Amino acid sequence: MSERLRTRLGSVPLDPEAESRAWELVRAAHAARPRARRRVPLRAALALGVLGTAATLAVLSPPGRAVVEAVRRSIGVEHAAPALLRLPAPGRLLVSGPGGAWVVGADGTRRLLGSYRHAAWSPHALYVAASGPDGLTALAPDGTLRWTLPRHGARLAAWGGTRADTRIAYLARGRLHVVGGDGSGDRELGATAPVRPAWRPSDPGAFVLASVSASGHVVVGRPGEPALWRSAALTAVPRLLAWSPDGGTLAVATAQQLLLFDGRTGASLGVALRGIRALAYAPDGRLAVARGRSLQLVSHRGAATTLFSAPGRVAGLAWSPDGRWLLTALPRADQWVFVGPHRVLAVSNVRRQFGGAPALDGWAPGA
Amino acid sequence: MAAVSRALPVLAAARPAEAVERRERALVRAAQRGDGPALEELFRRHWPRAHRAALLVVGDAAAAEDIAQEAFLAAVRALDRFDRRRPFGPWLHRIVVNRAIDWARARTLRRELATGAAPEPPAPDRPESPHAGALAAALAELGPEHRAVVVLRYLLEYTPGEIAALLDLPRGTVNSRLRRGLDRLETALREELA
Repeated sequence: MSERLRTRLGSVPLDPEAESRAWELVRAAHAARPRARRRVPLRAALALGVLGTAATLAVLSPPGRAVVEAVRRSIGVEHAAPALLRLPAPGRLLVSGPGGAWVVGADGTRRLLGSYRHAAWSPHALYVAASGPDGLTALAPDGTLRWTLPRHGARLAAWGGTRADTRIAYLARGRLHVVGGDGSGDRELGATAPVRPAWRPSDPGAFVLASVSASGHVVVGRPGEPALWRSAALTAVPRLLAWSPDGGTLAVATAQQLLLFDGRTGASLGVALRGIRALAYAPDGRLAVARGRSLQLVSHRGAATTLFSAPGRVAGLAWSPDGRWLLTALPRADQWVFVGPHRVLAVSNVRRQFGGAPALDGWAPGA
Repeated sequence: MAAVSRALPVLAAARPAEAVERRERALVRAAQRGDGPALEELFRRHWPRAHRAALLVVGDAAAAEDIAQEAFLAAVRALDRFDRRRPFGPWLHRIVVNRAIDWARARTLRRELATGAAPEPPAPDRPESPHAGALAAALAELGPEHRAVVVLRYLLEYTPGEIAALLDLPRGTVNSRLRRGLDRLETALREELA
């Protein structure tokens, strides 16, 4: 029985193409990995080893493991699935972080695009703008490289435009840049705060960009032209920008409050919501913010209603393309939480699946 | 590949198992230094068994490919921390099998939660393997933990003690899972194996 079982198990057929597909990814990951650190002197290594052993024992011994599990229960969502098996709504999710940039399909398949720390969808999710040590890169969602612009420190890209003409705004070494969607015509536009710029989506061919100047003013206008409007000096530097789908409102989060700017005039409404860590508009115009331990919806008049209270701090937001699901992360619990119309689904072990805790860059339509 | 073959020692005179281990240690060292061909040789040596092990535990071709692929990616990410005195295979197999068990458990959990998702279709039978369906059906009768120990024992050729270490299980648990798994497989496959 044993010998025949050995033979039978060893002859189960495999898809021969799978090996080639896997090797391409493994080769790319190997080529992109950072160079090994210098060797630590032996004495220091021994000291570190003792400390490391003690820490490991504390964590992995049965009492240590019990503490970890208890903490996990207290900061995460119980009954979380141990792995991401599929998205609860159609579309593709883009995430990026220490483990690289990934595209997650609706069926849960994950594709590593490369070791990029930041990523953004193109306006119709046909391409991804990704940034890493080599500069700014445009890729197809299957990982095919389109072009690379060598700009040290490029990050926080935003891609806007029509199907025929697009621009990418990004930051590099404290300066705002805009480059054509084909990688041509890169222009530096001046000093900027470390905030991802945002293209106004309602009139994509007009290329109206919202950004934050180095002095902390919100500036809206066509790159290289006089601003359409510019905010007064704010008491706290903006951290996050998001346009409503109709371009009527620009939501700006600072450490102290949420500001809702009239997209045409720059008139603003202040809402006392401190500590916003993410904000995003749904396709139908609902504004969600992640702050503290909750996800809240904010009306155009500034009224906030809590949609979901988490057992730990929330970070990141992405609406599903159909506007029915909101995805957020619970970093301390190493979980993602999908908040739907009638239920909440959670997934654990995010860091293990993505090689680190990734940022949620967007959930786009498409297969 | 030729450059690597020149750079790494040829160990034809050594005992086969020892020669394989020494060769793999040399490949790991070279891959840690960034040698792509060395990594490719390691990958080609281990992919078929890692992929097949994942497939036998999860019973789903797409998931098995993902699991094996991600295990190799995890191995590459952790390559610099790998202790070169230890063999590469068990390290990789531990990742593969534990991920496969997690995936299979999660599929069960998802069905229990009745989230409205359609159940995963079974892996399609390949026409070139008329017995694959019977084997898959027999394996599917087992839980993922039982499938894993059977695969570790009879595909990857680990001893019960090694399996216990790989899965962080008591040896008695491994033995009982092996016995139970074999009993069930024997019953299911008796007619076919006769």
